[in-house]
Order: sequence, then structure tokens, then C-alpha cells
Amino acid sequence: MNILRSLAMRLGSMFRKRKLDADLDAELRAHLDALAEANIRRGMSPEEARFAARRAFGGFEQTKSLYRDQRGLPFLEALVQDLRFGLRMLAKSPGFSAVAILTLALGIGGNTAIFSYIDAWFIEPLPFPHPDRLVIFETQDKKHGWTSGGVTSAADFFDFQKQNTSFEQTVAWTVANFNLTSDGSPELVEGGRVSCNYFDALAAKPILGRTFTAEDDRSGAPHVVILSGGLWQGRYAGDPKVIGRSISIGGEAYTVVGVMPGTFQFPLMGVANLWTPLALTDKQRADRGNVWIPAFGRLKPDVTLEQARAETATFFAHLEKEFPQTNANLTWLVSSMTDRIRTEEGGPEVMICFAIVGLVLLIACANVANLMLARATSRTKEFAVRGALGATGRRLARQLLTESVLLFLLGGVGGLLFGLWGMRWIESQIPGHIRAYIVNYGHVDLDFTTLAFTVGITLLCGLIFGLAPAFGSSRLDVNRTLKEASSQASGSSQSARMRRIFVAAEIALAVVVLISATLLVKSFIISVRSSPGFNPANVMTAQLTLPKTKYTQDSQLRNFSEEALARIRSLPGVVSASVASYVPFGGFGQGIEFEVVGRPLQPGERQGAPFTAVSRDYFSTMQIGLVKGRFFDSTDAYGSSTSVVVSQTMAGQLWPDEDPIGKKLQLGEQRTVGTIVGVVNDVKIYHLRQRRGWHIYVPMTQFPSRNLAYAVRTAGDATTMATAIRDAIWSVDRNQPVSSAPMETLIATVDAGNRVVTRLMVFFGTLAMFLGVIGIYGVMAHLVSQKIHEIGIRMALGASPAQVMRMVIGQGLKLALIGVAVGALAALGATRSLSTMLYQVAPNDPPTFIGVAILFAGVAAAACYVPARRAARLDPLVALRYE
Amino acid sequence: MPPSKAEVLQGTLDLIVLKTLDTLGPLHGYGIAQRVQQVSEDLLRLNQGTLYPALLRLEQRGWISSKWGVSENNRKARYYSLTKRGKKQLAAEAESWERMAAVIARLLAGAEGAP
Repeated sequence: MNILRSLAMRLGSMFRKRKLDADLDAELRAHLDALAEANIRRGMSPEEARFAARRAFGGFEQTKSLYRDQRGLPFLEALVQDLRFGLRMLAKSPGFSAVAILTLALGIGGNTAIFSYIDAWFIEPLPFPHPDRLVIFETQDKKHGWTSGGVTSAADFFDFQKQNTSFEQTVAWTVANFNLTSDGSPELVEGGRVSCNYFDALAAKPILGRTFTAEDDRSGAPHVVILSGGLWQGRYAGDPKVIGRSISIGGEAYTVVGVMPGTFQFPLMGVANLWTPLALTDKQRADRGNVWIPAFGRLKPDVTLEQARAETATFFAHLEKEFPQTNANLTWLVSSMTDRIRTEEGGPEVMICFAIVGLVLLIACANVANLMLARATSRTKEFAVRGALGATGRRLARQLLTESVLLFLLGGVGGLLFGLWGMRWIESQIPGHIRAYIVNYGHVDLDFTTLAFTVGITLLCGLIFGLAPAFGSSRLDVNRTLKEASSQASGSSQSARMRRIFVAAEIALAVVVLISATLLVKSFIISVRSSPGFNPANVMTAQLTLPKTKYTQDSQLRNFSEEALARIRSLPGVVSASVASYVPFGGFGQGIEFEVVGRPLQPGERQGAPFTAVSRDYFSTMQIGLVKGRFFDSTDAYGSSTSVVVSQTMAGQLWPDEDPIGKKLQLGEQRTVGTIVGVVNDVKIYHLRQRRGWHIYVPMTQFPSRNLAYAVRTAGDATTMATAIRDAIWSVDRNQPVSSAPMETLIATVDAGNRVVTRLMVFFGTLAMFLGVIGIYGVMAHLVSQKIHEIGIRMALGASPAQVMRMVIGQGLKLALIGVAVGALAALGATRSLSTMLYQVAPNDPPTFIGVAILFAGVAAAACYVPARRAARLDPLVALRYE
Repeated sequence: MPPSKAEVLQGTLDLIVLKTLDTLGPLHGYGIAQRVQQVSEDLLRLNQGTLYPALLRLEQRGWISSKWGVSENNRKARYYSLTKRGKKQLAAEAESWERMAAVIARLLAGAEGAP
């Protein structure tokens, strides 16, 4: 109470200083006068009386000063004073201030932008209640150590669902494409097929209608669908009466029973425009051989992850005995859903970026500290004068610290702005289809955590890096400094050494950043330049899926694909056209299990490869090279014996010393026997950094496909053909949605994540180098201006301009080389953590290391050249007189 | 050598000022200083200036209040007076002072009486 009250009075008094000072003066004078009058009455002379009064009163000014300290808040007043002075100092050297603030803004802003993603990915909990209780299940082979990548078999799942005691809910789901044919032009949308408790387990409530019931989830139940908020707003114009409406999906009628809010998102499923019940048939539910269903569960509140794992292990040990044919060595890996989502898309990339921007911030700070040190040395005189006037060392240090924190705060403000821009930029670089897989759709905000982080690093760096110059000045020897004749020759050797250490450290850090950035950029360029195994230029793709309801017979599928292909082929501007069940980079491919005839597999052993049914012209259209044998031709017709073409790597690994042509494979569940007629070069199908892989091609005539992907090579720009190709397909069936994109766009989209990282690396790598150069330039320029006297003497004694120049450049280069050497060594250790992100580039790639080292030495020499030339051109007479 | 004069401790000065204002009613700084010297018979050494920061501190705590007025000899002067809270504070401090003094007195008496 008392403290608050006196604080309020003290604070208030700071704003009426002048009036209060006048009052105090009047009061004290009245007191002195009264004392003097009393003395006169006692018989002193007026002069004596005044003198005695002064003596009795004590120090007049000291009293006033004590009184003022009691009246206001001396700490706050000094702070305001320091801030005002600091601002004035910054305004006095706008060049220094601009460079320092800009440097800090870039450093802090980069950290803010990247941290906002760290926050969204690694700190913020998943947007579901009790996300720590959500786990995912995936089949794991204990013997061979592989995991299925998040999927399990249906029978294993349903048995576990029935018998487990650890989980509140266990949920199976899968992604699917849905062909919307009613209400507007046909549209192929991505969505999910989910077990009825999917929404309950994620605790998601619909904004309209209801979620699924167990009744909906039976095979043969009336078709129902739940729409996403986005699809409802878009295609159904936010119609509030959409519940109960019948919509046509793939030619079948579905009743809309619910609408989910637009914010509902399940990152593992990704894009979801609508959901239907999984509704597996009894046969599908009993299937233990195919591992294909993604599944997750919600733990009961009192069950730990370890307990759940123990139960799962026991359960699968039991299944192993009961079904050795399918379940030998198999168990479930139970892992945290949060961890899975965090590592799924972009997590490691964000961490690498965070490390890089962290280093860049350190460089920026070292740079600014250096600038401040330089300024502090040229302000030595000023501090000496202040010291002589009574400022204590602590007071001076405090002022310098205030100045540097002020500088960092201004940099922090700039950093926030730059960071906000950076956040929006990164967001805009994330391609739409990836966004749905990223928490909160990749959208980040300057939330409290991020803001606190920014303010925190700003203050922390300001204090740490502000301490260096402050420390130096607090130990100033006033006498010596004031006596020194020249204002230039000052600057303690200690501060100079500190600056050199800073510059060397800065260069070392910059080298680490630049080497890391170069490795990442190099591997990106290699991957982009690397051939995907076909020629993507001028290839247009158009994909569609024919609905089961309308196209029930294989002959219908065959007719459609061939009819549409014939019409596309006859379009003007088409060089060649082909159709396949899947084109590379076209989304989810298909795989097939197989067995080499004559090499039976062990029980429980499996062998599979990506699988594509292609038309005759596919290889020639895509320009996939033939290694051996032949492509498919007119002899591979419907009804004739099955032909197979395999990839080069597959042929090489399966028959290292034999001719693969003529070898036979048993394909899929039907165990169709096919004969290898050709070997083609390897083709990348998922991403550019993919390793060479197995691939099985079959003729589409013999394996008709519901998924059709037309690949069309055009004479000119492929994009101009999109509409014509779509119309050609629609001329066969107007109701089939077609998604078309140039092949190059498909590849670029898949590679978008790496592209963002690469651009960030280019930016921060360049920034790091610039900061390093500015640092060494600053130090050398300052060194030369401090040594003008010395240089003058040397020249007077006969040193040639060339010698002076060599001396200056030599000193600068020595610093740079120390920094480069330390940096390269540090980079050797640091880049090892990059190895998973590198493609065909070793983490210790010698050309990168050598190149960056030479580059740095070069730019450092160039940065020293300017001050060196200034030194060499000095007139010795002027230099000697220089003060 | 004149007898050494005791330095006035801060807490003591507070008590003296409060008691003075309690006894004499509203008074200006000069008046308070005179009174202190008079009562202590010049045994306490007081730089009269130090009185003013103390007065301000007491005012900030709400124990005294001040008002500009005119002194006996027609000068503008700032008059300090005890507030209600100040009265309470005086009572409390006087009591604790007396208790303290009693303890010290007992202690000294005991020390003298010890064998």
C-alpha cells in the first residue's frame, strides 16, 4: 500500500519537475533566510549570519540532489536519459545505425519466420483434444525390420479392435478419389473412407447434421456422405438445407448426412473434401494377406503407451501362432501420432532452416557488436570526459548497454516486419496439395509464442552482444585517455583483439552457413537436372478414374481408353499420345506382388514392385529408353499370352548373370503368368531424389485399368493443349472429371518442398556471406584509420605504397583465413546432419568446401583492398600530422 | 575537543519529526529544525538540509501532508502537518522505540550488575 502510493507519487512527480524544483528552491531559501535572520538577531553581521546559516544548513546543492532522488525514480530517469541519448547517438551516425538495424532485422526476421513454423510443427499441440493419447498403428516385420509405412491388414485391425482393452477407439481409414457428377461439371475430388468412429476419435463435431453411425458402416448399407466445409461452401454454395440431399458420386446416389467445419483437418489424410463410411465387405474384413489400411487409436485415459504396446505385442504374438502363413514375424508398431505428423512433411527441413537462420543471427549479432566496438573505441574520448565529470564506470557501461539494447530493439521491430513478410512468403511457396498434410494447412501466425521468441532473442542478443563494448568502456583509464594527444591512437589493444576474434568467428560461422547452403542448393540442382528416366518437356497429362457403376465390364474400360486415345491422337499439334494406369509423379501409384517362376518364396516372404499398365506407344511417347528386347506392340493384344516389360534395375538385380528376356513372372493374386519381353531404363515416379527401383509394365490391352492417365507429347507448349485433350476425352463421356497438368508441373509440385528450402538457403547463404564481408571490411577500415600515424612513419622511413598495401591486405587475409579454416572444420561436423537431405552430394563434398573457402578468401581480400588502397595512397606528411 | 554529537539515524529522525508535528501542530521546515535542535540541546548533529528529503519521504508514505502558507514574519512557507495515518504511525513507532529503549536499558543495567 505504502510502496504503491509512494511509487505513484514518485512517478507523478517526474512529469512536473520544473514546478517542483521551483518549490523546493523557494522552501530551502526561506529556511536559509530564516536561519540568517535568527543569526542577525543574535548579533552577527549580515555576512557572518549568512555564512553561519549555510554552515548549519549543510550542502545546499547536495540537499537538492538528495531531495530529487527521493522525489522521483532515479533508475527510471537515468534510463529515459540513456534512451534519449542513445537515440541521439543513433541519429548522429545514420550509416552505422542503418547497417546495424538492417542486419539485425534480417537476422531476427529470418528467425521469426522460421520459428513460426517450428512453433506450428513442434510446439503447438495437434488440434485435437488430448492429442497425446492418439497413436498410429502400422504393421512391422520384426525379423527384417521393415515397417509398412502406416498401414495394417483389415483382419488384424478388426480382431484387435474387438479384443483390445487399452483403447477407447480404434479407427481405420483410407484415402479415395470421388467422382462428383451431379450439381455442376464433373469433378474428381480427394476424400476419405473412414470407419464410423473416425470423427468421434478425433473429437470433431459437424457444423450441420451428424457423423457416421455403426449402421452406416455396414457393407450394403444405404450410401451416406459427409461433406467438408470447403466443398460445402464451394460446390454446394453453403446451402443450409444440404442435409438429406442426394448427390451423385461415381454414378451412385449418396445422401448427405453431415457437414464438417472448414477448420477440421487430419494431416495424415491430407486433402479431404468428403468422407464416406469404410463399409468393408465380410470378405474384405477377413483379409489378412493385404496390408493396406491406415489405422490409429485413442488410448483410454488411464492407459500408458507402454501398457498399450505390451498388450499389442501379446496380441500379435498370438496371431503369429494362429496364422503363420500371413502373420509370421509381424507385429504392430504403436507410435505417437504427434511425432508421426511432425516428421511427415517438412519437419526435418524446418529444423535445418532453423539451425541455419540461428547461425545467420549469430553472424548478424557479431557484426553489430563489432560495429559497436569500433564506435566505442572512437568514442573513448567522450567517455573519458564523462568519467572526468563524475560518471562512474558502471554508469558508462549502463549507457552503452542501453544503447546496444535500443539498437537491437529497433532491429527487432524491423525483424518482426521482415519476419511477417517471410512467414507469408513461405506459406505462399507451399503448394496447395501439400498444405493439407501440414498442421493448420501450413498457415502460421505471429502468435504469442512466436512473438515471445522474437522479443526474447532480441533482448538476449542485445544484452550479450551489448556487453562486449560496455565491458570495454567501463574499465577506461580516464587519466591516460585524456592525456593522449591523438584522438586516433586510442582504443585499447584488448578491444582490438576482441574485434578480431569477432570477425574471425563471424567468418567461420558464415563459412558453415555457406557450405551447408551450397550443399543443399547443389543437391537440389543435381536432382532437378537429373533425368527422371523420361523426357518431361512438352508432355501434357490428363488423368481420370472411370466409375465402377457405369463401367462394369473390362471391355467397357478397354473401349473407353482406346476411343479417347484415338481422338486425342488425331488432335492437331499432338506428336504422339499414350495412356497408362499411372504416369510418374501423378499421385498414388499402384504396386503388385509377384513371384519369379522357378523361384518360390518362403512362407511369409513377399516381393512386390510398382506396376503400370500401358498402351503400346507409352514408352515412345514418354521417351523411355529400351535397354533390351522390345516394347509392347500389336502382338500383345487382348487374349494373347501376357507380356511384361521390367525396369533395368529390377532385371539386373533379379538376373544378374542371365538374360532376363523370356523369364516368367507370376503376377498378383490371380497369379497370371507373364513373359518378360523387354527391359527399359529406370524411371522415377514419386520424386526426383528417388533411388533406382523396380518397375513392372504390362500392356493395357491385357490389364484394363479404371485409372487412366493420358500422356501426350505435343509439338509446342504442352499447356495450350489442356482444353483440347480434355474435350477429346469428354467427347467420349461428358460425365468424367479430368485433371490435367503438364508433366513438368507435376514434377515441380512434387519437388516444391525442396524448392522452398533451396530458395531460403540461397537467401541466407548470400546474407551470411555479405555479413562476413561487411565485418571484415569494417574491421580493416577501422584498423587503417587507427594506424594512419604508424603508416605515415613507415612511409616516411621508405616503405613503398605496395608494401603498405600488402601489409594491410595481409593482416585482413590472415583473419579471414583463420575464420575460413575454423569454419571449414566446423562445417565438416555440422554438415553430417544434412546427409539425409542431400542427393548425390556427399556431406563433405570437396568441391563445395574448397570453392567456399576460395570464395571467402577472395571476397575477404577484395574487402580489404579498399582500406588498403586508402592506406597506400596516404601522403606521409599528412599522415604524420593526422589527429 | 567538543563532545561528539550523535549522527541522526533515519528512523530516529522520522520519529522526531512526527513527534514534533504532533506536539506543535503544523510547522514549516525551519521550525521543525529549530525544535529538534532545541529539544536535543544541541547534542544531536543535524545538517538542517537533510530534513527536507526526510519530510518528502514521510509525505510520500502518507504520514504527513504539506500546504503552502504564510509564516509569522510574513514569508511564504510550506507547512507540514501530521495526518491520521501519521498519528497511528507515531504511536506505533513510539511504542517500539520505548520497548527497544527498555531492552537496551535492561541490558546495560545487567551488564553493570554482573560480577
